[in-house]
Amino acid sequence: MSETETAAHKERALEEWLNQQGSVLVGYSGGVDSAYLACVAREVLGSDNMLAVVGRSAAYPQQQWDHALAVAARFDLPLVDVPTDELDNPLYAANPNNRCFHCKTVLWRTLMPLAVNRGLAVVVDGTNADDIADYRPGHRAATEHGVRSPLVEIGLTKSEIRTLSRQRGIPGWANPSSPCLASRLPYGFAVTIERLAQVERAEAALRALGISGDMRVRHHGDLARVELGHDELARWLAPAARRALRRAVVSSGFQRVALDLRGFRSGSLNVLSGVTTT
Amino acid sequence: MNEALERALVDAGIAARVEVRERLAILIPRGNDANLKSEAQRRVVLALAAERGFTHVALELLD
Repeated sequence: MSETETAAHKERALEEWLNQQGSVLVGYSGGVDSAYLACVAREVLGSDNMLAVVGRSAAYPQQQWDHALAVAARFDLPLVDVPTDELDNPLYAANPNNRCFHCKTVLWRTLMPLAVNRGLAVVVDGTNADDIADYRPGHRAATEHGVRSPLVEIGLTKSEIRTLSRQRGIPGWANPSSPCLASRLPYGFAVTIERLAQVERAEAALRALGISGDMRVRHHGDLARVELGHDELARWLAPAARRALRRAVVSSGFQRVALDLRGFRSGSLNVLSGVTTT
Repeated sequence: MNEALERALVDAGIAARVEVRERLAILIPRGNDANLKSEAQRRVVLALAAERGFTHVALELLD
């Protein structure tokens, strides 16, 4: 069976899974996985039996919210956003290596009652089958709150989700992963609204320079460490390009800028703090 | 500062001061020769740093 056929087979299994639930509340970010899940749920269950909910805070980039709205409009997804107050939780703001657990705990504590109030049977998230191999303390919070992860249960991988999203015409199917802005702060370095805003401004400024694909601005206090995709790295090491890149990041509120010589690594700060090794 | 890595970099033809932040080495170039555009050169730097316990190496961009 080809990868496309395998993906199609799994999508039918997902549709069946959703039908069995009857109604769902989707924890939606506008990212590739939750957008796909929300679009399939909308098609299978109809607009009365599904709701996409975005938890919004300073850690959620404006650009992603704009994208989430665009996808919802195009696919007629019932959508609400709810403020989440994870930065008010000292356990989260101190930025321990299980920060995601505290963030997701706030999110699911907010969304579970919403599902009950709306009469929706199940709360689901967009965790995919590949995610389970990563260090994901946030997933534990989902499990503890009874949140289901149908993409994991069906075994849908990121690659298959991208293929199926492209077939459905979901905008952003090829977008790089976009974890929350707090993921740019090393563990133990407190999460504040100002630091998140610095990262958001710097990444937007780099995108405006024409940098595409995977890219992160890691916040090391006075210094921003920029991770670029391997295809981009050599280009931005040229003298004129370096000056432009530096100016863009400094204008976002950093005093110093450094370019990571290995380039983009998902979970880079997990490695730096010793939580993972690769 | 990490003198061992600085010396190893000089031996590899790269003149840079090394600022240490836990397992991150920040290379601060001395002069214009440390632009590290070549992937082979970057690999050498990463290997030298890894041998000394660094998981991340970044080149500071100066004005």
